Amino acid sequence: MARIRKDAEQQPKHQVSMVFDLNKCLGCQTCTIACKRLWTRDEGMEYMWWATVNTQPGRGTPRDYEKMGGGFDSEDVPRAGHLPTRGEFGDAWKFNYDEVFYGGKGSKVHLKPEGDTTWGPNWDEDQGGGEYPNSYFFYLPRICNHCTHPACLDACPRAAIEKREEDGIVLINEDRCRGYRFCMEACPYKKIYFNQARKVAQKCIFCFPRVDKEVAPACARMCPGRVRFAGYLDDPEGPIYKLVKDWKVAIPLHPEYGTEPNVYYVPPIAPPRLDKDGNVDESSPRIPTAYLEHLFGPAVHGSLEILQREMDKTRGGGKSELMDLLISRRWLDMFHNLDRDPATLEWTAKT
Amino acid sequence: MATSKFSRRLFLKTSALSVLALGLGRLQPLAPGSAEASAATAVAAGETIEYTGFRQLLAEKWTWDRTAKITHCVDCYPGQCSWTAYVKDDMVIREEQTGHYPQLNPDLPDMNPRGCQKGASFGDVMYGAERIRYPLMRIGERGSGKWRRVSWDEALTAVAGAMIDAQQTVGAESCVLEQGPGNIGIFQAESVGSFAMNWGMTSLDTDGLINDFNIGQYITFGKFQQASSVDDWFNAEVVLIWHKNPIYTRIPSYHYIAEARYRGATVVTIAPDASPSTMHADLYVPVDFGADAALALGMAQVMISEGLVKEEFVKEQTDLPLLVRSDSGRFLRATDIEGSDARDDQFYFLDAASGKPSPASRETLALGGVDPVLDARAEVRLADGSKTEVRSVFSIVREQLDRDYKPEQAGALCDTAPDLIRKLARMIATKRSMIILGWNSAKYYHGDLIERAQSLVLALSGNWGVSGTGSAGWNQSGDAKSISIGRETLEDSEYDRVVRQHKDVIKLLRDKDPTLTDEMAAIEYERTVGPLTSMAPPAFYWYHHAGYREVWNNPAWGDPTMKRSFDDYYNEAMEKGWWEGVVRPAPDKTPQVLIGAAGSTLRRTRGGLKQLLEHTWPKLKMIVSIDPRMSTTCLYSDVILPPAWFYEREDFRFHSPSVTYNTYTDRAVEPLGETITEWEMMGRLSAKLKELAAQRGIGTFRQERKLTKAFVGLLPTALQAVYRLLGTAVFERAVAWVLPGMASRLGLKRSYADAHEQFTKKEPVNREGYLRSFNTWINDQARLGLFPKDATLERYKKEGFIRMTGLDPLDPVSLNTSCDIEPDKPIVALQWHVRDKVPYPTLVRRAQFYIDHDWFLEAGEQLPVHKPNPNMGGDHPFRMTSGHLRWSIHSIWVANKLIQRTHRGRPGMFVNPGDAERKGLKDGELVEVFNDFSSFQVHIITSASVRPGQVIIYHAWEPYQFPNWKSYDAAIPGMVKYLHLAGGYGHLRYWRWNWQPVQSDRAIAVDMRRAA
Repeated sequence: MARIRKDAEQQPKHQVSMVFDLNKCLGCQTCTIACKRLWTRDEGMEYMWWATVNTQPGRGTPRDYEKMGGGFDSEDVPRAGHLPTRGEFGDAWKFNYDEVFYGGKGSKVHLKPEGDTTWGPNWDEDQGGGEYPNSYFFYLPRICNHCTHPACLDACPRAAIEKREEDGIVLINEDRCRGYRFCMEACPYKKIYFNQARKVAQKCIFCFPRVDKEVAPACARMCPGRVRFAGYLDDPEGPIYKLVKDWKVAIPLHPEYGTEPNVYYVPPIAPPRLDKDGNVDESSPRIPTAYLEHLFGPAVHGSLEILQREMDKTRGGGKSELMDLLISRRWLDMFHNLDRDPATLEWTAKT
Repeated sequence: MATSKFSRRLFLKTSALSVLALGLGRLQPLAPGSAEASAATAVAAGETIEYTGFRQLLAEKWTWDRTAKITHCVDCYPGQCSWTAYVKDDMVIREEQTGHYPQLNPDLPDMNPRGCQKGASFGDVMYGAERIRYPLMRIGERGSGKWRRVSWDEALTAVAGAMIDAQQTVGAESCVLEQGPGNIGIFQAESVGSFAMNWGMTSLDTDGLINDFNIGQYITFGKFQQASSVDDWFNAEVVLIWHKNPIYTRIPSYHYIAEARYRGATVVTIAPDASPSTMHADLYVPVDFGADAALALGMAQVMISEGLVKEEFVKEQTDLPLLVRSDSGRFLRATDIEGSDARDDQFYFLDAASGKPSPASRETLALGGVDPVLDARAEVRLADGSKTEVRSVFSIVREQLDRDYKPEQAGALCDTAPDLIRKLARMIATKRSMIILGWNSAKYYHGDLIERAQSLVLALSGNWGVSGTGSAGWNQSGDAKSISIGRETLEDSEYDRVVRQHKDVIKLLRDKDPTLTDEMAAIEYERTVGPLTSMAPPAFYWYHHAGYREVWNNPAWGDPTMKRSFDDYYNEAMEKGWWEGVVRPAPDKTPQVLIGAAGSTLRRTRGGLKQLLEHTWPKLKMIVSIDPRMSTTCLYSDVILPPAWFYEREDFRFHSPSVTYNTYTDRAVEPLGETITEWEMMGRLSAKLKELAAQRGIGTFRQERKLTKAFVGLLPTALQAVYRLLGTAVFERAVAWVLPGMASRLGLKRSYADAHEQFTKKEPVNREGYLRSFNTWINDQARLGLFPKDATLERYKKEGFIRMTGLDPLDPVSLNTSCDIEPDKPIVALQWHVRDKVPYPTLVRRAQFYIDHDWFLEAGEQLPVHKPNPNMGGDHPFRMTSGHLRWSIHSIWVANKLIQRTHRGRPGMFVNPGDAERKGLKDGELVEVFNDFSSFQVHIITSASVRPGQVIIYHAWEPYQFPNWKSYDAAIPGMVKYLHLAGGYGHLRYWRWNWQPVQSDRAIAVDMRRAA
């Protein structure tokens, strides 16, 4: 599936982006549910979770996606990785409600999931790594990265994937898509699903109808942890620009995949380890830095250093612009230019 | 390419800038006003974007016909999340947070967006397979899952018939209401509660049922709901997450902890497991199960021995300077010094100036020039001329700590490094520190000792009553006295009646003791009038009618330091009249009818699956579940009455100053199926009682509420003489003369017709009546000062929530927060005590660490000490602990398909990988968990965050999600601590939601093996 790189001449005027602060993420799945309830309720979409949150270390979703390949080869040609299976994504279980509630079988039957119950999109929740009391984990939310250099786009023989000129949202044109799934093989983050009912590939659309109305994507606006900054990467007045470009604390996941993701992460800082006597041992961090480097590349060292330095500042009673930025005392400041209240919208007619 | 018209204001006028050109030029400055301005402006028609093809199909998903402000009336603490329902084709298609909470001041993060995945998926529950749409009656055996859909008339006829049978054969109190917190739209909940009160039912105390009662806090402060608002978490310098897992259970509020950390706070998590709330902390402090008292006492020892004590605070706010007689172990009282005619609740300091005992004021905490000696030991002359040694509580505490709780000793008890204990103690002593506490500690057998020891740490370090300090998890406000809930009378004002009654009683109380604070008076009101009108602790119902007497008397599962049998304590408590008027249903009144509302007793009651099904169910002639969704208790019921749910009627979530807003939920859509509001349901059931009684030719029923000694004691002396002269029946009229508001509550015999009329106040049971009552209720709240004066239903419909303006002056639980509500600041619990020097509602009127009740002295618990967990369940190697699920509020969401797909779709029990390996078990395997009480089967989840020897099963799974419908609750014996039967002592006397025995369910002894 070697193909010339198509995105080179398609650089958008602006680029939407998100920053996820992993020091705030609770793994509550409100983003997951927000997205599900808005976009993926139709037949064929039951098993889709365009927004996911997984416990790290963990196998992620789809299971072991980091080992599935994709991305680009050394000549910038999209590389076909493993096509994730339904089982690797996890089934959308059905439950035997009627049998239990109204089936007349009493306690001989109990409510349980039906289908493949060996894996799910959040199967390894709160398992993590390490050993008690130095166990560790954190939550990693993921959406489509709306990459600057999207392998999916380059891999599609139907030219059904576009990067919107005005804001860089990567969209699968379902009218053109024929369900070949080259995109699913090429995406190294494996954030594309296949709709068996409609035979098209589907994925996160960065809530483009909301963005078009200056409303932040549902996963961001509904995040109770105030984890998700949403806006434009090239908006110097917005927090994303400041976190990514000025402070350089927000960094992409697996930069080595080469797709130049537009979702950035503030890496997690866990409490110190305890030694065998139960005393604080600061000789090495609870979350091994090598693991964070595996996820975020070598830039994570600088990011952690800056974060720690600024946290130390405020703990010593000082002020830190970075900390104020991450606190974001005014919630709407997290959505610079995407801060409209959706409930104020009125639809003149049903479309 | 893109077909959409690009119109975003930022980039509208900018030239094509590529991302590569970043930094070369600044973009256009923003339009002024940005957020608020945009929020107020509807998108102009001209901005409408025309989509085609797949874009149109997608964009159509994000359209709606109308919106409504809604919330979820469940007791996730503190909730108050304001949402907007998006309605299309008369169905709520999705919900999204309103996001309008104001920023109170520029230094404080706002509360937005408040909500969680449960709120975001409620529409899926509401229309889901678990929703009950029609009244159902059982046609097979109980629990067989064979149902018949019936009309409301048929269902209510069956229920009313059974109630009349019970009233006529056994007595009204044999009809029992268990009201859980699952549907606490205040208007609906109060409709059910006031129905039970009106019809003479036994209404079991909700906090007793669910065990969300911090007994140790209560013992110390005379109350337990003194929580600051969640935004004050941001102001702490040290955040101690201790007996709470906010990452699961405080999803909308957690950001204040994360933000406090960025602001410079040190976040510490203290727990047996490296709980999920550990991950974003700055320090994890492991502690053995339930051994937190040792940890806290170790810290207290460090604070005292290193001279870190905030002496002024301690002298003023606590009992630590009060004198205790060395001979008897009792406080030095005025009766000791002045003779038996003096007050037995007047206590003394040792005055540094004179070296003599000086009475501690009962009217104020202000010391007024007296400087009490903190570490006092002296000899005093008693009334009889003899001399005895007295010591300050502080002196005794210090000696005990130095003897038993040096960090090395404490560390050995709680398995925490001594240096870590020192480090924590020094940090807390020198910084504004707050314990983010839940109701986990309360569920340990010796949870009271844990909380008393925690409180001691806060006392020594001066850490309550000012911003960024304190403890306690949540508070409630808003009256359960139901003002006009029971429908507005057409002739008389219910508001006036209730306020008048309250004032009358308070006046009587103040005639007896003019020094009562408003809070104390409101509590005494509950204690005296409560037994006549309000709830009864469930412990007695369990003891007499659910077979728990046998369980609680098992010495192997109780505290090994108990000197007598459980029954011995029980009988003494009864003989001494400590629980007069609230042992209901009386031992000889076998329960006949059980109405469960907004809760699931078989899921919730610790050991209930075994005890209730074996002992109580066979006695009950009628079991009714008022529930919008299918619960396990529903499955074992005779009749299911399905109410309308949160988006289907106007209501308020009950108030909690922790999120200082009254949050409203609108009737966004019509009630589903044939569901009706509880307000209507109770009105129709009441009418049915009247109708059926008339049909059967029955005129009256007996309401057993008796005048208690406490109530009579409240009355003026002359009236008490009249009582002794006339006896109860005639005396009722005399009481009615003094307290006209009480008249209807005291009737020993009541006619069905009158009872119905008193309940409905002749308000028609229809939509018009509902709205009239609801509007009156809003008006009442405004008159009480909880709502702003200009509060109207229309305003709430538009805004969804409004900031509270004050605590409820009639409600002691509300007054327990004891603070001002200011428009621009978080609220700070206990402010009135610390700032205004208002005494605490305890025996000694100070935060009380020394309890000289006979039983406490006998138990060696006069001061906080460490005691190990009893072996509840027998001699088994694992300790089963719990906490709330991330995925559900109680069981409301637990069976929902969407939510279940975000985890493993079935109950799970967390096990340490090493333990699993030793047992030959693998992640995901089905195991049998067992002890001497019972057993259950569950799939395990291995996680290194679990402490070796621990198994964690979060609740509240439905029993019907487990094989044979046996959940983990099956293996919990549901022990209560005998000491909590104590009474007759200062604040250790029952009142609604407060002092009473509750069940323990943490650190249950279990073992496990692969399920066959």
